[in-house]
Amino acid sequence: MKTFQYFPIITLLALLTSCRNSSNELPYLGNTTIVDGKSVYHTVGNIDHYNQDSVHMTNQDFKDVIYVADFFFTSCPSICPRVTKEMLRIYDAVNDLPDVKLVSFTIDPVRDTPHRLKLYADNIGADPSKWYFLTGDKDGTFALADTYFVTAYEDPDSPGGFDHSGKIILVDKEGHVRSYSEGTEPQSTPKIIEDIRKLDASYKK
Amino acid sequence: MKNLIFIFLISGMFIRCYDTPYVQGERIYNMHCQNCHMDDGSGLESLIKPLNSSDYLGKDEMICIIQAGILDTIIRGKDFLPKEMPSFEKFSPVEMANLVNYINNRWDKDFKEKTIIDIQRAIKSCR
Repeated sequence: MKTFQYFPIITLLALLTSCRNSSNELPYLGNTTIVDGKSVYHTVGNIDHYNQDSVHMTNQDFKDVIYVADFFFTSCPSICPRVTKEMLRIYDAVNDLPDVKLVSFTIDPVRDTPHRLKLYADNIGADPSKWYFLTGDKDGTFALADTYFVTAYEDPDSPGGFDHSGKIILVDKEGHVRSYSEGTEPQSTPKIIEDIRKLDASYKK
Repeated sequence: MKNLIFIFLISGMFIRCYDTPYVQGERIYNMHCQNCHMDDGSGLESLIKPLNSSDYLGKDEMICIIQAGILDTIIRGKDFLPKEMPSFEKFSPVEMANLVNYINNRWDKDFKEKTIIDIQRAIKSCR
């Protein structure tokens, strides 16, 4: 029988998949402190922003949703379009999950008014109830980026006047950072999509 | 005869290393175009025009657009779209030829190589 030939491969596959199942829960990223014997995980900072429809949004609006966030600006001549392209891939891949949203924070609020963000969003076909483009106080946004472990600051020597990293961050319903991918590396996108599904499923148990 | 085979093998090695004959053009593309038009030339929805299915492939207009940047495609109604293509005036005709030949060779089905003379003539004809 030829079946026996595949026996080692099947065993190996079974082993590999069983190992992955055992570590199903996503890690909590950032510093965890212990308060009164309980773990307190790192939480993202204050959201006090306006979306592309000029609706004011705060952390309250995100307490029942899982979301992926990136930091960008519409006139960005460098990595932003690539990151937006990966956000778009995620957007298409999680269309069937109503609790999953996407958030793009602009780090250039002076130029990126809600109106301008609306144009940008419409032109990439983003549904305003699924993908929020947020603008707010500049320094507040820089400080916020820090809590997402994203570098963002003004730098006249950088293309477009801002220096920032292209990370895409996965945040759970409690505001904890659970996973991330590099928006500039398309090969890292399938992993974060998998993590989103995993996180979404963990709330449905 | 032995020498000939040797030369053939060596040159074969070099040809196999690159999947485009326009290596300089590819370098310019990766440095100046890829961030917006993407590795595969697909662009970004209606925000950034795709190159892989562009109407301007093989045409002189493409050279003019690279030279001057593009503004008219970003005007829709009264609203300016946030994405505009910058101009690349600083490209020399040689760089322009390398780039345009790379783009056309990659995505134009009826590819014809442009010479530096073609490029200079095209640039002169740009408004």
